[in-house]
Amino acid sequence: MISFQPTEEEQAFFQVARSLAVEKIRPAARECEKRRTVSADLIARVDELGLSALELPESWGGLELPLLSQALIWQGLSYGDLGVVQGLPGAGEASSLFRLSSEHRVWHRYREMAKGGRPTVAWIDEAGQKEPLKQAIRVRRRGSGYIVDGVSSPVRLASKADWAVIAARDEEEETVLLAFDERAWEIEEGDIRLGLLTSGIARLRFAEVYAGPEQLVARGSEAETLLHRVRARNQVIEAAKEVGLMEAALDYAVEYTAGRKAFDQEIAKFQGVSFTIAEMAFACRGAKLLVWQAAAAVDRGDEQADGCAWSALSRAHRSLRYVTDQAVQMLGGHGYVQEYPVEKWMRDAQAQVMLYGRETDWLIRRGEQLLGKRKERVAP
Amino acid sequence: MISFEFSPQQKQIKELVHWFAKHEMRPIALEADRLGRVPDEWLKKVNKMGIQLNTSSFSGGRPLSHSEGKKEKKEREGNRVAVIAAEELAWGCPGIALSLPGPGLGGPPIQSSGTPEQKQRFLSIFTKEEPRWGAYALTEPEAGSDASGIRTTARKVDGGYILNGQKIFITNGARASWVVVFATVDPTLGRAGHRAFVVEKGTPGFSATRVVHKMGLRANETAELLFEDCFVPDEHLLGGEELYSANANQPSGFRVAMKTFDSTRPIVAAMAVGIARAAYEYTLDIVRSEYPKQGRLYYEAAALLAEAEQEINAARLLTWEAAWKADIGEPNAMEAAVCKAVAGNMALHVCAMCLELLGPVGLDGHLVEKLYRDVKVFDIFEGTQQIQRLVTARRLYAPYGVHV
Repeated sequence: MISFQPTEEEQAFFQVARSLAVEKIRPAARECEKRRTVSADLIARVDELGLSALELPESWGGLELPLLSQALIWQGLSYGDLGVVQGLPGAGEASSLFRLSSEHRVWHRYREMAKGGRPTVAWIDEAGQKEPLKQAIRVRRRGSGYIVDGVSSPVRLASKADWAVIAARDEEEETVLLAFDERAWEIEEGDIRLGLLTSGIARLRFAEVYAGPEQLVARGSEAETLLHRVRARNQVIEAAKEVGLMEAALDYAVEYTAGRKAFDQEIAKFQGVSFTIAEMAFACRGAKLLVWQAAAAVDRGDEQADGCAWSALSRAHRSLRYVTDQAVQMLGGHGYVQEYPVEKWMRDAQAQVMLYGRETDWLIRRGEQLLGKRKERVAP
Repeated sequence: MISFEFSPQQKQIKELVHWFAKHEMRPIALEADRLGRVPDEWLKKVNKMGIQLNTSSFSGGRPLSHSEGKKEKKEREGNRVAVIAAEELAWGCPGIALSLPGPGLGGPPIQSSGTPEQKQRFLSIFTKEEPRWGAYALTEPEAGSDASGIRTTARKVDGGYILNGQKIFITNGARASWVVVFATVDPTLGRAGHRAFVVEKGTPGFSATRVVHKMGLRANETAELLFEDCFVPDEHLLGGEELYSANANQPSGFRVAMKTFDSTRPIVAAMAVGIARAAYEYTLDIVRSEYPKQGRLYYEAAALLAEAEQEINAARLLTWEAAWKADIGEPNAMEAAVCKAVAGNMALHVCAMCLELLGPVGLDGHLVEKLYRDVKVFDIFEGTQQIQRLVTARRLYAPYGVHV
């Protein structure tokens, strides 16, 4: 039955996340950005509330929630500040991999280490979308293991990572998934100034590093299948975070324009402002429902779930850029200066969409999927 | 819980209406557009089948029992069923869909505000015997988006009211057995002076002066109505006198009109979704079979089609949300405005993208150019996209006490 009513548990989770976002995350966001790290007390608070292990398997002490419930929680948390949320330490995008291969012997050590807090994992996926400007990580077979060499693209959590998981294609074009539980890499911090400065964006350099068979998570079709599922889950989670940020930007712009006066009246009374605000609301609501739908499709195991995730993420990207840009516009000069959060949100938004795939790429992939399946003949 | 699955009833309705749209509407869609009308024989046939455009479900559908834990709950789903059906009908042909017999947009105000006698009298005429229509007349030459400015007058006389004025852009206005007409008892009172009447065809002083020619929706009749000293008895005042008493808790005639929009906007949005989907599926089929299988043209087409699918999907979900809210009995003015604004605008964009993919071939006898002409008005009637933005903005600013 079509319904938009979250369960009581989801509502409770969402409220907890939203409250934390408003009361703790947002007030601390500027300071965290300045220090380029999330403060220890914020991390502790997130851990205390159990929000750092939403996707992790129950057998690992995680919550293993349905993706739809997680989408709501990430939406709630990111309402505070996306930079902080993306900088929270822990398994990050590897969480879904842990969830889907929780019994794999490779993770035994991670589970052991996790008893004293969860190690941070950098997720490097170079087996999927081809990036034209990517400095590739090369993986070559060597005996029963692999040699890893090269520099990754900038990825989140890299500068803080204790672990790294690499998905790449070897010289035979076979997909391999490798785990590194020691810092066998050098961090290239680079010169990141745009946004998500709290999230530890960096490149990882591997110089002819050997990965033995004990580090191999999966290869070939097994790795492809696993990656396919992991990516869809991550795309939905990232899109949900984007919805949280755009909602923050919308609400902030509404409040500001309701109070700011020009020409003897609140600027909200000018249609150039109020119509833009309405457009921002349309964008937020549309993106949110697509994300929820994609999450539900993944939870159901729908065969088109990956396509739903691509569509939701590309829509979220577009809406996020639009809404955060318009929020700055609504504040005018105030929007551009750092006394107000919207300039940061616009920068974070742009960095976020750059990290998580181009809108057009997702659309082309979805389009190919649509062109490939026939439902019924409707044109002569 | 949040769910995007159909209930058994929703699934059944969708399949049934889709079958009808595909096998009964599509084959005559281009012909009806060319002729500027839907053939009478066809209308009689479908009326006998019991197919009607009935938007009255927004006053509540058939209660549905389902268990939740140990508590038995009743949930209405009529609004969700209505938007699902409306999407399929418009997928078949929006011009024909709006011409289907039934109370049309006149149904919701009678259903929600009419007295029991009025409901019985005006809604019971829609039988399988003979196709009949209802209509809804609000717009005037000088009052479009600003419905509060209507000038059609209703002067109280012994036993009833005398109506004088003109109404324009009335769907099925000339053929309707009755029309819900909005008029003012005193223009100086503004919205508080509004009253709604049900005026029957053949009432002396009431006439349809002409049928207008339009860009699209040519299969559907759009009429201008004239009221010249038209006497309407008291019992035709919608809801009776008590509905318009000074009691602030009672809805005025203006509120009746606005409440109708909360019901009908999701239906109109769903129709826009159906039109967009029709254009998209048709074009997807052609691209799949006739475009090159790789290269620039193929990838551009893939991206455009995926964008179309995404936009359709988002608008549909917003429409479902508005319908769901109505079903659970919560105010849905904001959601109704949002889905209407998004869907109307989206549908034109999708149709235009599809025409771009078809190129010059699309000019000649293809369905999509007709849909493009049809769809434009979905961004205009039942409140233009500008009005929907206004409604949305007002709701967003309400907590701050700012009226925009």
